[in-house]
Amino acid sequence: MSDIDIKRISYLAKLKLPSEKEEFYSNSLKDIIKWVDNLKKVDTSKTEPLHNVTEKTVSIRNDEVSKSNSVDDVLSNAPERAQNFFKVPKVVE
Amino acid sequence: MSNNWEMVIGLEVHAQLKTSSKLFSSSPNQFGSEPNENVNFIDSGMPGMLPVMNFGCIEMAIKTGYALNFRINKHSVFERKNYFYPDLPQGYQISQFEFPILSEGYINIESGDNKKKIRIERAHLEQDAGKSIHDIDPKYSFIDLNRVGTPLLEIVSYPDLSSADEVINYISSLRQLLMYIDVCDGNMQEGSLRADVNLSVRKKGQELGTRCEIKNLNSFKFIKQAIEYEFQRQINIIDGGGEIEQNTMLFDTSTGETRAMRSKEFSHDYRYFPDPDLLPVNLSQEQIDKIKPLVGELPQDKLNKYLDNYSLDKDIAKIIIAEKQNANLFEKMISESTVKPKFIAAWLVGDIFAFIKENNIEVNSLNDKTKDITDLLRLISDDVISNKAGKEILPKVLNGEGKPSEIVQELGLEQVSDSGELEKIIDEALVGEEENILKFQGGSDRVLGYFVGKCLKATKGKGNPKLINKILLERLKK
Repeated sequence: MSDIDIKRISYLAKLKLPSEKEEFYSNSLKDIIKWVDNLKKVDTSKTEPLHNVTEKTVSIRNDEVSKSNSVDDVLSNAPERAQNFFKVPKVVE
Repeated sequence: MSNNWEMVIGLEVHAQLKTSSKLFSSSPNQFGSEPNENVNFIDSGMPGMLPVMNFGCIEMAIKTGYALNFRINKHSVFERKNYFYPDLPQGYQISQFEFPILSEGYINIESGDNKKKIRIERAHLEQDAGKSIHDIDPKYSFIDLNRVGTPLLEIVSYPDLSSADEVINYISSLRQLLMYIDVCDGNMQEGSLRADVNLSVRKKGQELGTRCEIKNLNSFKFIKQAIEYEFQRQINIIDGGGEIEQNTMLFDTSTGETRAMRSKEFSHDYRYFPDPDLLPVNLSQEQIDKIKPLVGELPQDKLNKYLDNYSLDKDIAKIIIAEKQNANLFEKMISESTVKPKFIAAWLVGDIFAFIKENNIEVNSLNDKTKDITDLLRLISDDVISNKAGKEILPKVLNGEGKPSEIVQELGLEQVSDSGELEKIIDEALVGEEENILKFQGGSDRVLGYFVGKCLKATKGKGNPKLINKILLERLKK
């Protein structure tokens, strides 16, 4: 099993990890992966991949517009708003 | 210096599909609304909301499949592409990864006499993201989610392109096709068609170099500038003994330069996995076949038809097929009149297009004037009025100022094509011109022009020049 880059994982998960906890979480994740790796014992060389347990196809709708809410509804949970925009800390690339 | 270098370019073109509603929600798919006007709880990523597939998007993807010579896959799968950004409230973009709806297509591009086949690896359906506005407030970004969930078809070419001109040619051809089959409005300024450019350089004949991706270019001008800048940047690095780092670049439209995005230290890790909220798309052959007739005539079909059936010059035919609305206007006029298509085409690309450009109007707005236009062209081609009078009347007809025949009468522009009347005028004009008549008979052609002018003047410009010419020659040869 490849080593775990715990710093990168915490970055991707947007979680701040104190450095003294890094080893603990790294080991926990390793254990989880080791457990999941049990699945590799099953020989799947002759099995088609399954994307969903039902054999059905995606449910579809016709291309029609309907409006179910107002702008205020959508913005009602926003931590901050400015006019009709969501207002968030500056993110700029 | 850069003579022995060549560029290798592959393109990812994002085309917004012009459906009425969004890919997975029934919010309006509309540009230019008030901020967050077209956002429902699916679009804003509220917990527990479930996406429902819009079949209109599948239909448009299949049409594109036919137009771009793709293999249309009966089985495709939506996956989650995970990344974090405020204008993507779900925290992931629903896209297709391992099983796209279209595979292995191509289009032919043409410049002058050169034809080149550009292979297209795949095209897949995905959601667009929202928009962040950074320049209103120094500390905050403002987010408008109207664009969230707009259906995109991402069309990914093979690295078959080798110059900025080829890239522009390829995108123009794609744009033309997508507009013909009515799946994209092609409006680059509004972001309906955007391109990511993957570019690497190599010495001619050598292996592929490391590529950089320039993101989100939405005009032909910027695409050309970005390619030329990035080509030179990579050559300079290698010539200076350096190596190209695989990077995602931004193009700065104010400086004309490309620069690496800041987040490069964390190379992308999108952790794709099949979206558990969406079952696979399984299409029957019957469903696919049903859509084929909706594709309609493609530009190449029209070009062949115009050359073979209407005997147009290739250059003129190409101007007409460039946009579907031009072709529609042209074909409507042909179907409504017996004026020769070649004659109609010449007036269309000449004075009619000039009028459209000058008055900044939509081509489509002339669709209800075609009968008047062809009536006017009929008067010109039947010599009832002169070409010059036709040019004078055309703008009045296009402005809806009256029927061509009425305007002709009103302005008294009808040509005198009565040979008896013309003969009389000509005979009068020749009185006292014995010297010039002798000159003509002695072989001076220039005198003929003088006589024609004199006769036309005598008819106040209304004499049919062809007829005047004919009668004059008869008289002068006596």
